[in-house]
Amino acid sequence: METIVVVGSGASGAHFALTALGKGRRVLMLDVGHTGQEVVRPADSLNQLKHNLPDPVTYFLGSRYESLVLPGAAGEYYAFPPTKQHVFRSRPEFQHQSSGFSPLYSFAAGGLAETWTGGCYPFSNRDLKEFPFGYEELGPYYAKVAAHIGITGAHDDLSDVLPWHGELMEPLDLDEHSAVLLDSYKRHRGYLKDKFGCLMGRARVAALSRDLGNREECRYCGRCLWGCPNRAFYTPSLTLDACRTYSTFQYVSGLYVDHFRLESSKVKSVVAYSANGQTHEFAANSLVLAAGTLCSARIFLESVYRNSGETPELRGVMDNRQILMPFVNLRMLGRKWNANSYQYHQIAFAVQGAADEYVHGLVTTLKTALIHPLVQTLPFDLGTSISVFRNIHGALGMVNINLPDHRRDENYITLDVGATPHRLTIEYRPQPDEPDKLKRTISTFRSILWKLGCFAPARTVHVRPMGASVHYAGTLPMTDTPAPLTCSKYGRSHDVDNLYFADGSTFPDLPAKNITLTLMANATRIAEEAF
Amino acid sequence: MNTSQLERECLTYTRYLIGRVPSQYVVNRYLDFHQKSDAMSGLGSDNFDHFLVSISARAPFWARMADSYASVFRKGSIVRKKLVVTLALLECVAPSCEVFDNADGRSPLATLASLGWRAARYSFLFGASVVVFTPVRVAMAFSWKPRAEAMLEH
Repeated sequence: METIVVVGSGASGAHFALTALGKGRRVLMLDVGHTGQEVVRPADSLNQLKHNLPDPVTYFLGSRYESLVLPGAAGEYYAFPPTKQHVFRSRPEFQHQSSGFSPLYSFAAGGLAETWTGGCYPFSNRDLKEFPFGYEELGPYYAKVAAHIGITGAHDDLSDVLPWHGELMEPLDLDEHSAVLLDSYKRHRGYLKDKFGCLMGRARVAALSRDLGNREECRYCGRCLWGCPNRAFYTPSLTLDACRTYSTFQYVSGLYVDHFRLESSKVKSVVAYSANGQTHEFAANSLVLAAGTLCSARIFLESVYRNSGETPELRGVMDNRQILMPFVNLRMLGRKWNANSYQYHQIAFAVQGAADEYVHGLVTTLKTALIHPLVQTLPFDLGTSISVFRNIHGALGMVNINLPDHRRDENYITLDVGATPHRLTIEYRPQPDEPDKLKRTISTFRSILWKLGCFAPARTVHVRPMGASVHYAGTLPMTDTPAPLTCSKYGRSHDVDNLYFADGSTFPDLPAKNITLTLMANATRIAEEAF
Repeated sequence: MNTSQLERECLTYTRYLIGRVPSQYVVNRYLDFHQKSDAMSGLGSDNFDHFLVSISARAPFWARMADSYASVFRKGSIVRKKLVVTLALLECVAPSCEVFDNADGRSPLATLASLGWRAARYSFLFGASVVVFTPVRVAMAFSWKPRAEAMLEH
């Protein structure tokens, strides 16, 4: 039996591998595969951890206080938990430089989606208009992924823009704040739809509302951000575990894949380095790059350079621009809140015309994140800020707004072979009219929130740098017409016969919806149809 | 910085922030942070920053005064960083975490009134801190030398 070599264990690689294994194929997965700490005290809620852990500060802030956010630190509203620091641990062989783009990479087992927030939003035919296939072809794979990972959702107003692909579980219990927001929406839905093209409904999230296989349903322990202790919340490492149950699966971690060798325009072998610098070479009948758009581009470019001396530019790299909009729900002021609830977004927005295109918004009412990064931003002394924060905590929310992106030639990735080691180089320029689109989008969402009884202070709105959403795509797009530096609708390279791409590299367009579900469905489709 | 000074800071800051005495675990962690982190090294800070730390450690009242002043004029100052470190430690640990986890449970109107009162109190204290600390800052400005520069001279 021929072996398929898969590089990367993230959302795409894991789903490709599981599907190929299910078809009786033999899979060798090569991965750096950093792993984090074991789950501690799985039966405890987050607040119980503060009482029961012998050293809670190390758990919440890290042994070197790496999750402590001090005044003057540029950044986000939430501190990144120590339990997930391994996801962004790098490798010295991987160097990059960028302009107009702040990329994030992961060499973790399970990839970047080990830190995702579980949003599962299927692309509609309108979202797929640049793809060489429509929803009819992709829909069954959404359902297959949903059956495997467990996705909750409701048939509501959002079903107009989120196809109902089946295999969805009933929604999770709403937290009180989200329920109040939905109640406001129901009273103003006609106005919001007519004035802003705004629809609102239950989020689709990869968290279990009932047991699935050996995974338990959500216990509402409030530990989502810190790592779900009972595997109710899906991450790709769970699919990696499922792959490991196959005798035809081999997972080799600790290896950084650098390039592949060609023979007669076919991949002959894959070259990887271990942490001690030792070189490993693996024969490959078929190679599937699923290391994530940027890392797959790095492997492809290094291989092209070693085999031809050329350094092409992979044009059309995309990412969703994201806006974070904190708000206060005036109806929730002073209310007590329940920390034992699902912590990520439970409500989603679809706004049709905020930036002339579909814009996607997710509402988070996170209760168990560390508060010191936020408290220090209030315009008072810290003693007063604590009192104020306690009374507005239950009323706080955050809208995470995603804008679409499209392939443009001026945005590209290439390899700087003058540097040692070779450096991935990313150039990104936003569209000239982006400032105007951002302004209109922010204005629209502030108006929507105001109608819902919420106040979003203008000065707290944060436009994240390009690259921060980690929805990278578009460097080796699927096309119907064979052309250099593209691939077929089944991810097969038009340049190298037995080379496949199964990650975001293949997307010819990037709608505003979070892409992870589509990455999984597309990788499943490629494994099913092409192998 | 010596241990007893750091312990005094932790004690005073905790009493200022949550009105309680810190557990020995929190004090130990406060000391540990200062050992492991170079965030408080003082590079780039001036004598007035160190004056604020020194006076804020005397009593919760002075901690509030120094913090009020720093909240506008010295947001990235050492005293502000030390207070945020204390806050971060307290929110991770029982029983102090309960202070942050519980709202007063009032109606929205009563909450707004309460927030207004707190904002007014802050404004008054901020005004007082300006009156007290501005002359000190001006006086120190005439004798200012960056600490790193001063250390190099030795």
